[in-house]
Amino acid sequence: MSRINFERFFKTEKQKEFSTDFFMDAEDYEVWNEIDFANLEEVDGERTFEIKAEDIKAYAEGCLDDNPFMTDEEYAKKSPYKGLIAHPLFVTPIIFYCVGKKGRGNWIRTPGARNPGQEIEIYDPFRVGEVIHIRLRPYDRYIKRGKYYLRYKIDMYNQQNIKKATCISTLILPPTREDMRKFLKGQRGLTD
Amino acid sequence: MNRINFERFFKTEKQKQFSTDFFKNAGEYETWDEINFSTDKEFDGEQTFTIKAEDMKAYAEGVLDDHALMNDEKYAQKSPYGSLVPHPIFITQIAFWCIGTKGQGNWIRTPGARNPGQDFEFYEPFRVGETIHIKMRPYDRYIKRGKYYLKYKIDFYSQKEVKKATWILTLILPRTKADIKKFVEGVRGLDA
Amino acid sequence: MTKITFDSVQTGQELAPFTKKVNQEIFWKYAVASFDYNPVHNDPEWVKTAQPFKVPYTVAHGMMTMSFMTSVVTNWAYPNMLRIRKITSKFTLPVAPGWTVKCTGVISEKHVISKGKNYVVVDLKAENQEGALLGVGEIEVVFPD
Repeated sequence: MSRINFERFFKTEKQKEFSTDFFMDAEDYEVWNEIDFANLEEVDGERTFEIKAEDIKAYAEGCLDDNPFMTDEEYAKKSPYKGLIAHPLFVTPIIFYCVGKKGRGNWIRTPGARNPGQEIEIYDPFRVGEVIHIRLRPYDRYIKRGKYYLRYKIDMYNQQNIKKATCISTLILPPTREDMRKFLKGQRGLTD
Repeated sequence: MNRINFERFFKTEKQKQFSTDFFKNAGEYETWDEINFSTDKEFDGEQTFTIKAEDMKAYAEGVLDDHALMNDEKYAQKSPYGSLVPHPIFITQIAFWCIGTKGQGNWIRTPGARNPGQDFEFYEPFRVGETIHIKMRPYDRYIKRGKYYLKYKIDFYSQKEVKKATWILTLILPRTKADIKKFVEGVRGLDA
Repeated sequence: MTKITFDSVQTGQELAPFTKKVNQEIFWKYAVASFDYNPVHNDPEWVKTAQPFKVPYTVAHGMMTMSFMTSVVTNWAYPNMLRIRKITSKFTLPVAPGWTVKCTGVISEKHVISKGKNYVVVDLKAENQEGALLGVGEIEVVFPD
């Protein structure tokens, strides 16, 4: 179910590769009531993210930010930053790309998921040329006012294993596989 | 300046020993603008706290909580806990006792200090017979809406070095020694 | 680039707002930029019946609203070589296509620690054209001095 033509908006290599259909692999997504909290072992993301200038620029453009430190390579090179500096929320495409479709954390792709708010800590700015890998684990799961929240802790490292950022990623999810399947059929799979 | 007769309320040995006059040593209290944040060094409290049943019971009574697990030793002994369980905020009594009058952290006694809210983590319940010592260090200091906040991190350990709890203790303080002096004289030493 | 000092900033200081009008195309472009293809933002047909937010229309990505709020701070912090350390947000009302999102920030806390560790907290707000609250955020910004 991917009726929208996103291709006209693609600018980067990764955008062209990345599947826009979040319904297709939904049966493989982790589900709120099935996450194993007895196992809090960290796992790797499905793949790594090699940062190119086009990635940093595309994110800034996507959030309508024309700050030249994020969008103008010449300008940024002459600045004390000596190169493009990413929008702090550039962690978003990194996470979606690295989590992938089948690996742990793929619940972030659940159709019908709702974003209540997020928490990000940045230790070192992301730079062109870095290759980012993520380590993630279940962090918390709770019910509040009838909504089902799931949180994972996602640490992001570069190729030298320098920790770049930590995100406590939180979404409100359909609580069961049955509820998620309703969303796949275009029905509301939530009771709140 | 100690006009109130507290003695009629004293029940425990520690209550009888502890000085009720927070004005007396005010000239020696750490002040907001003088705290040294350049080091992460931890400090010990001035004294340790050996927990007696009377201490726990007195705290519960002081907060008008007649829960049998906190007050009735026989009842608590027969319960799955096996002994008295303190009210969680019993930690207050331990902190004031251990910090003492002259040591690091004595700013908690500052006349005019205001409590904006506190933050505790409990790892293991306090038990009768344990001897608690504290390790503390400056944690944060900030100005918000014209008020001067100071935070210390206080870790509580038993005699076996088991960490029992952590308290991020926060108060809004008069900023300088001169401001404290105003409060000692019964004049408002705060701008906000 | 002018640099500001930690001493010179005051609580209550307001940062320049960041205001954008949004529409479905902007939501699609953000999906592409973020790789977040959740249909609640992208698929007007699906959302008519699925209604995760109990409304029959698509809504903006929360991360886009959070990005807008963050831009208030980066516009101030980046030219002054200040470091953004922590960002938290809460979304209070889903953003509909056609709305204007106005983000404002004010320095609410000044943490006086030591050189290299001093920081401020900026309180952020996102509101629509009618003043309805869309989200709030807090960003910690560390000063080098």
